[in-house]
Formats: sequence, C-alpha cells, structure tokens
Amino acid sequence: MRSYLFLLTLALSLGTASAMDRAGADVSMELARTAYTNGEHATALALFDSVGQEWNSAALQLAIGNCHFKLNDVPRAILHYERALLLEPGAEDVKANLELARQRTVDRVNELPRFSLGSSWERWIGGSDVDQWARRSLWLWSLTVVLCVIALLLRRTLRIAGLSLSGLSLAATLVAVFLAAGRTAQVRDAAGAIVLQPRIEVTSEPRAGSTTLFMLHAGTKVELRKTEAGWCEVALANGNLGWMPASALERI
Amino acid sequence: MNRVAYLLTFLAALCGTSLHAQEIAFEAKVDRTAFAVGESIRLSLSLTNAQGNIGHPDVGGLTVVQGPFESSSINFINGQRSSVITRTYMLTATAPGDYTIGAATARVAGGTISTKPIKVHVDKGGGATSDRSLNEGQKRDRDLFVTIDLSKEKVYVGEQVVATYTLYSRYPNLELSDYDLPALNGFWAEEIDIGETNWQEGLRTVNGLQYRVAVLKKQLLFPQRSGALKIEPLRISCIVNRSFFNRGSKVETQSNTVTVQALPLPGAAPQGFSGAVGDLRFEARTDRQSVKANEAIELTLTVTGSANLKLVEAPELELPPDVEHYDPKLIDRISMTGAGMSGSRAFQYLLIPRHEGDFSFGPFTFSFFDVAQGAYRTLSSGPIQVKVEPGTGGGQASIARPSKTDVQVLDQDIRFLRTGDAQLRPKGRYLFGSLAYVLGIGTPALGLLLFGMWRRRSAARSADVDGTRRRKAERIARKRMKEAHNALERNEREPFYAAMTKALQGYFADRFALGVAEMDESTLLERMASSPGGEVLAKEATALIAACEMARFAPLEERPRQQLYDQAVDLIQRIERS
Repeated sequence: MRSYLFLLTLALSLGTASAMDRAGADVSMELARTAYTNGEHATALALFDSVGQEWNSAALQLAIGNCHFKLNDVPRAILHYERALLLEPGAEDVKANLELARQRTVDRVNELPRFSLGSSWERWIGGSDVDQWARRSLWLWSLTVVLCVIALLLRRTLRIAGLSLSGLSLAATLVAVFLAAGRTAQVRDAAGAIVLQPRIEVTSEPRAGSTTLFMLHAGTKVELRKTEAGWCEVALANGNLGWMPASALERI
Repeated sequence: MNRVAYLLTFLAALCGTSLHAQEIAFEAKVDRTAFAVGESIRLSLSLTNAQGNIGHPDVGGLTVVQGPFESSSINFINGQRSSVITRTYMLTATAPGDYTIGAATARVAGGTISTKPIKVHVDKGGGATSDRSLNEGQKRDRDLFVTIDLSKEKVYVGEQVVATYTLYSRYPNLELSDYDLPALNGFWAEEIDIGETNWQEGLRTVNGLQYRVAVLKKQLLFPQRSGALKIEPLRISCIVNRSFFNRGSKVETQSNTVTVQALPLPGAAPQGFSGAVGDLRFEARTDRQSVKANEAIELTLTVTGSANLKLVEAPELELPPDVEHYDPKLIDRISMTGAGMSGSRAFQYLLIPRHEGDFSFGPFTFSFFDVAQGAYRTLSSGPIQVKVEPGTGGGQASIARPSKTDVQVLDQDIRFLRTGDAQLRPKGRYLFGSLAYVLGIGTPALGLLLFGMWRRRSAARSADVDGTRRRKAERIARKRMKEAHNALERNEREPFYAAMTKALQGYFADRFALGVAEMDESTLLERMASSPGGEVLAKEATALIAACEMARFAPLEERPRQQLYDQAVDLIQRIERS
C-alpha cells in the first residue's frame, strides 16, 4: 500500500508538473488498472484523471466512468460514458455500462424516436477514434495518387483500367474526407451536456427567479443550444426547452 | 406292598410266557393346552390293556361342560389283542388364568395307576369379545344377537383396528337372510378374507346360556381423523325354525354401537412423513454394485412390518443429476389377517447412470409413526456405492440429458475496464484540419502534379519529331560541311561533292520536314514561301544542290569548289537567321 502511494504521488507529480509523455501515460494507466482491479477505486480515479488531462481515448473515458460508478457518483460516470461513446460510437461495453448507470438516475426522459441503422453501422461510421476517418482519407488519397501514376505509365486498356481504379479510389477518398470532417466536427462541437447538480430548476429565462418550467436531476443528458452570461439554454431529448445555470452542467 | 410285588411278578411271568406286549398304560390328554374364555377343550383319559375303574379327575377350577362320555375299543393286530377304554370330558373356563388339571387314578386289578397333571392356559378370549357387548346383546334378545368388537378402542390416527362382527344364536335352525354393514365415517376400511361364514365348533356360554357362534365379517379400520369415531350398528334379519313343515319366522336384530377414540399424532411430523403408522423396518438395496454406463440398475426401497402399508408412499429419492430414473414399480406383499395388515411394500426404481464414475445413492430415509413408542421415527438406509464403468456405446452417448435450467441472474454490474492498449491520443487535437493532414493531402497532390508536368513535357518532345529535326538540322549540316571542307583541303573531288550534296539535302530535309525523295524545287518553294525572301532562298538552294550533283558526276567543273562551299555555308546561315 505504501509503495502504491509512492507510485501514486510520483505519477501525480509527473502528471501535473510537466506535460505527461506517452510512456508516462502508459505507466500511469497500468498503475491505475491495478488499483482498480484491487478495488481501490479512488486511487485509480486519481491516476486515470491525471492521464486524462493530456490524453484521451474511449478506453480511458470508460475507465474514469467506471471509477465514478464504483464510487457511487453516477452522474459523473454517465458524463464519462457519454464522452467515451462520443469518441467511439456504438462501443458495446460503454453502452452496457451507460445503460446500467442510467437506471440509477431519477429522470426518465423519453427520447424522440431516431433513425438508426444499428450499432455496427454506428461503429463503422464512428470508427474506433476520432481521427480514424482522417487517417483513412490520407491512405486512400495516397492510393489514388499511386494508382494514377501507375496508370499514366501504362498503355491503352491497362491505362483505362488503372484510371478507373484511381477514380474509384478518389471517390472513396472524398467519402472518407467527408466523414472525417463530420466526425471531427461532431466531437469538437459536441452539444451534449450532463446535469451534475442533484436537482436543478429549469427556467423560462436566463435569470434567477423566473418561471420554473421543469426540474432536472443529476445524470440527465441535455443538449446545449445557447450560452449567455453563465446561463445555458438546454433542450431535452423530448424537445422541452429552458434555461439553467452553466455551473450545473458539464459538457460532454 | 408285598401284594403289588407279587402281582407284578405274576404279570411279568404271564407276559414272558404268552403276552409280553400287553403293557398297561393310563394317560390323560387335552386337545390343546391354550384356549380362550368361553371356549371348551376336550380332556381324554385312556386306559390301555386293562379293565378298571377310572376315577373322576380333579379339573382344578375348570368347569365340566359335557361328559363324561365313555368309549372302549378292542384291536387284534398280528394275533395280539389290545384294548383301550377312554373317558372324555368337555371343559371350559370362566376366567382367564393358568389352570392345572390334576392327576386321575384308575384301579386296575387291585392296584391303582395315575396320570400326570396337565397345565393349561386360558386367554381373555381370541375374539376379544368384551363382556360388555355380549351382555348388551344378550339383554336385547336372549336368543339371537350380534356384536361388534374392536381389537383396540384407543388408537392413533392411521393405526389399525380389527373390527369383528359376530353372530350368537340359540336357535337350532337359522338362516341368515340379509345384513346391513354399518357405514364407516372417518375410517379407511380393508376387508379381511375369512372364507365362508360358518358356525364355529363348539358352543359358547354366555351368562349360563349356550350359543352357537359365527363370525360374519372381519374388517381392518384405519381412522383418518382424530376424535371419537362412531361405528353405527350392524343390522341383520334371519329366518328361524324353518323346516319341511314350517315356513319359519323372521327375526331381526342389530348390534351394539362402538366408538373408536382416535388420537392425533403428537408433535411435528418429520420431513418425508407420508402417513405410515405402525411398526416398520426400512431397507434400500440395489441389484448390482457395478454397472456399465447407460445400463439399467434396479434400486429397491422396501418397507416391511405391520402398519397401514397400503398407504405408504414412496420415499423421496435424491440421486445424482446424471442418473436417470423412472417412476417406481410397486411390489406389495401385504397380508390382512385378524392380527392386522402386515407384510412389505417395495418401490422398485429403474436407474440408468449416463456417465461412468463412482456414484453414491442415498442415504434414503423413511419416516413413520411408531405406535409402540408413541413417537415418530426416521429410518435411514444406505448410502449405496455403485461403480459405473464406461459403457459400450461410448461414455458420452447420452440419450436424454438432465433437464436444463436457465442461468439465474443474481446481480448486475458494470463491465470491467478494457485491457490492452488504451489507444491514447493527445487531448483536443484532431488530425483532420491539422498541418499534418494538409501535408498528407498536399504532398501526394504535389507529387502527382510534378509527375504530370514532367510527363507532359517528355511526351510533347517525343511527339515533335519535325521540330527535333529542325533543331538538329544546322548541327548535322555543319558536321557534314566540315567533312566537305576536309575533302576540299585534301583536294579530293568525289568525297567533296558527296559531302556537299549530303549536307545540303540533309539540311533541307531536316529543316523543312521533308523526305529525301520530296527534295525538289516545287516542294521546297511551297515550304519556304511562308518566310520572307523564302522564294529566293529556295531557288538558290535548289540551284546549289543541282550544281553539286552535276559537278559530282559530270567530268566538268563549272565553278571552283571553294566558291560552292562558301555559298552553301552562306545559304545555311541565312536560312537559319531568317
């Protein structure tokens, strides 16, 4: 236990004093996993958080969410699960945990039916991380160029075939670029937020004391519409709109 | 005493001479030494091979009902004569107990001979006929009555009671025409087979009156609930004194009412108690100790003893899950007599072990209520060890597996952390739109562009043959003119003109993209007309070429070689300049 604490302080000092490099992050992750496995969830959370200041991934957000869940902080667990899901849409383990965490929240918001092609489509479109489609687009673009060059060096029918392949590859590249742009925008401009205050009144105006429209409880997911002087206009999944203090929320 | 000795000597002498087998004997015999109150026994005193006076015996408290009757018999066997004198008494007892029939004496030829005393035992009465019911019945009708007798009046619920229905009659001639069995409420009844209803041997004395007795029926009763359970009277109707001359008269009578006090079973019943009450033993066994997988083995659970055996249910069977078992076969060896229901009930199970291994069946338990102790008892048998060897059809050839059950979800929890690489990326930095991305897109694009440009230039060059020829025309021409100049200096005529012709023809062909065959004045004019002063140059060129050809093959040289050479150089220079 003592060596643990030592390692923890070491890792934390590493994490806070200077920018944590990749190797340091991996060491901290390993320590945090061991702590989590041994049931020391608070220690694990501190370590994961120190990694999370510089680095990000679905696995990390899932781990942080799990720590919060084990420490009975369900709203924060939901927040981190949502973050993980944003980074890796359709991730099965994250969805399962999020489902379990949602069962422990107070509010039940009936989501409007949404067109969905299912998890595997979501996973394919979402990729394992944000940059996946960008990377794919680069690879496809390189392939297009290489095919094009090869085709130009060939003659007659072979050249036509090569150019056709190159054209297909170009089309794929365009799709990939499009998806990469979409995914990056989706993650960068994520409009979702989780209510973290145990209970909060949602009012009709961005002003304390205005008409209370409805009450929300910790763990409920809302969509941010506007931000104005410490107040946010939020929309619920069922379409209800209202204002609440920004301090009661945390953006996904 | 002297007389006796004398007599014996005399008799011995007599036997020794003629009749040595003729021994004198005096015996007392009873037909049974144990009997019940109300029954009678026969006492016989036999005097063999002698004539004498048999004295009256001391019957020791028993009552002589009939007799004495005297009879005698004489037998001749192989010429030997033997005689027996028998005196018979019918004796009965009025109270139970042990009695001694004293010695009887006989006077034979002046002497006396005596029997041995006989001990008899008198029971309360085999039918357990209580005096109360007899008295009640006799009071109702002195000549004809019926009784119901119970072997026990206070029993536990489920314990067996023997009910005996007995008819007593003093009519010499009686026909039973009809009888109504009482309804039995609260009992489960079993008939005891007593064969045909017949008069019992002998008469029975009730309060000094003698009756003929017949047991009509015997039943086993098992009280099904606690409390005072009443048995309604038995009604019979008879026709008496019917004869050839007489139609007889009808007599009706009914029995007493009896009540069974059924006690509830005390205490809490153990698990597995199914209502067996009595005195039982329990045994479990298998027909084999070793069996092959998928072969049948017989497990028999046997309950033996005296109880309500027909109500005994199969004990609960606890077997390993991969042993298949079927509903048991019931094998009853139950007899119902006046003593009650006894015997055995066996449950025969067919077991089929589906896998090899060492199996332990049991222990099997059986619970019942012990009447003698007034408490529940649980008997246990086993466990039975059975060794199952691999079957012939392969150990796994299960036909029917143990029934499956759904996995029960006990609790829910979140999924564990992901293992392996966490795929960490710097936070808040995205590849798309970054400098690296722009470079990644731009570099191949630039490469393609450069490749395209190079490709285009080289293609254009290789495509423009005429231009190349034109560009190279002067260089080649100059080279050839140099050859001509060399020939000129060496003063060689033939090589000079050949070189001049070749240089000029080659130059014009290259310069104006012409074949050598096309090299005539008109074509050259056509090609050179576009440039200023082209016509003059064209004419000069053709004239020069013609002059060179003429001088080469003709014997005369019209102009000096040096002049021709200078003109050609001048011409080429002017064309290049234009």
